[in-house]
Amino acid sequence: MAMAETFFSNLKCRECGALYPKKATHVCEFDFGPLEADYDYAKIRAAISREKIRSRPLTMWRYRELLPIDGEPTVGLQVGFTPLVKAERLARALGVRELYLKNDAVNYPTLSFKDRVVAVALTRARELGFNIVACASTGNLANSVAANAAAAGLESYVLIPYDLERGKVLNSLVYGTKVIGIEGPYDQVNRLCSEIAGKYGWGFVNVNLRPYYAEGSKTLGFEIIEQLDWRIPAHTVIPMASGSLLTKIAKAYQEAVKVGLVNASPFRIYGAQARGCNPITAAQQAGTDLIRPVPKPDTIAKSLAIGTPADGYYAVNVMRQTGGAAADATDAEIIEAIKLLAETEGIFAETAGGVTLACAKKLIDSGRIPRDERVVICITGNGLKTAEALDGQLTEPARIKPSLREFDALIVKHEPQRRGEKNSLMEYRQRGNGILETPCLRASAVNKSYGNRSKHTDPVAGANQQPGHGQRRGGDGRGAD
Amino acid sequence: MAKCKGRYWLNFTGPTATEPLIYQLSKKFDVVFNIRQATISDTMGLMGVEFEADREVLQAAIAWLETQGVKVKPVELNTIEG
Repeated sequence: MAMAETFFSNLKCRECGALYPKKATHVCEFDFGPLEADYDYAKIRAAISREKIRSRPLTMWRYRELLPIDGEPTVGLQVGFTPLVKAERLARALGVRELYLKNDAVNYPTLSFKDRVVAVALTRARELGFNIVACASTGNLANSVAANAAAAGLESYVLIPYDLERGKVLNSLVYGTKVIGIEGPYDQVNRLCSEIAGKYGWGFVNVNLRPYYAEGSKTLGFEIIEQLDWRIPAHTVIPMASGSLLTKIAKAYQEAVKVGLVNASPFRIYGAQARGCNPITAAQQAGTDLIRPVPKPDTIAKSLAIGTPADGYYAVNVMRQTGGAAADATDAEIIEAIKLLAETEGIFAETAGGVTLACAKKLIDSGRIPRDERVVICITGNGLKTAEALDGQLTEPARIKPSLREFDALIVKHEPQRRGEKNSLMEYRQRGNGILETPCLRASAVNKSYGNRSKHTDPVAGANQQPGHGQRRGGDGRGAD
Repeated sequence: MAKCKGRYWLNFTGPTATEPLIYQLSKKFDVVFNIRQATISDTMGLMGVEFEADREVLQAAIAWLETQGVKVKPVELNTIEG
């Protein structure tokens, strides 16, 4: 796309609104509030259109005017525009009329939504003159920084606790990044990162480049809207670690309205956490926006296990203002949900995906999410990354000698089992949902192909919803992590 | 001795939320404190504060706060992912 114009005007404190130059900084000097990218929306409105976006390559950069960079993107040019899957079998299992899965488990190149945020952070890092980029991470973020930096020819460092599992380390080492094991818990790794960023002048994607990094998450929201044929879904369920992704998807919905890409319609935002680390969910359910830290997270959903979520306050407020809610899921529920998603839709999600689906199910069963409205569930990472979570949780493969007779015997044994499974699924539907089939589902418009947009024309029902314009100035920058 | 400054989020939970801990800190240690923002309920509190003191005094003051049950986190560490 031929475009060198910038629409990104300033960094702005989410607390007091003070403006800052577009440098590598992330905290307001006055009240320590987080800084966020601010744009010239009138200029964007005049410059952007659905037609213009449609004419661009199917990547996250098709919404470039709404991203915090000055020039052309230079890192992660292929990232994004992941499938929005119309999940009819899962919809039947959950008892909802219309369900979609935003499937970032197949995001390019490292199979998680982190490629979006890293692509923006590293593009901006280059614009700001950083030659070395880095992050502190135990998983998806490290993989993404390592891969995207390698492809862009940037030198990169990944700081990890020294005793991290070998498999996770290999997933970063393979890209030629320099991995440094720090002898101490994650908190101390983080602490060292901020000191290094200050002393060595490196670009840490989730420290001094944070305002740029976080904006990359918005592209997930823009894509959902475009793939729903320019509609905002009535209900969106999003996993919460720091809470940043949830607030940015809401911001994307609001910005799309603001710049004239989509008509305003009510939407509700829902957050999902693991029971073993649920500080944001606990606050939302208690009706407060003060986040009580979880000192020792204990869950298989490690990518969501942030005990002191930096954006928890903002996430709670987005849920409150849009009329949404939060839920949490136990480890057993997470495993069940991973299996349900795989068995109904052929999607193997990481544990965070299990959390999101398990929470969506609870929100549907409790009536918080109505069964007859459009629901989107965000799957943010690939199951291959956390396969060990399923150790001992699946049926072991049958073992036979290379003999047709033994095979025949096995198949005969499977026959009643297969019939039984069918019956139990029917029972599940009757028991769990109170209905056998969801009559409104149509067989057409299965939207599984990469980049294929939905052809639906149904209006989004939303009679009992509240206006979805939520994000106002913040109250505190709180939490920390 | 060189003075140093630090910016912190203090998280008060349980009984610490209603104790006058900043007052007590200033009596026990030679620390200049500058509160930038705060939110307090009867069970929890969150405060953004800047401390200025000799390095050893600052470290001792923070260690004391932690023994009182306050979670202390440098503002610069307000990162968002694990």
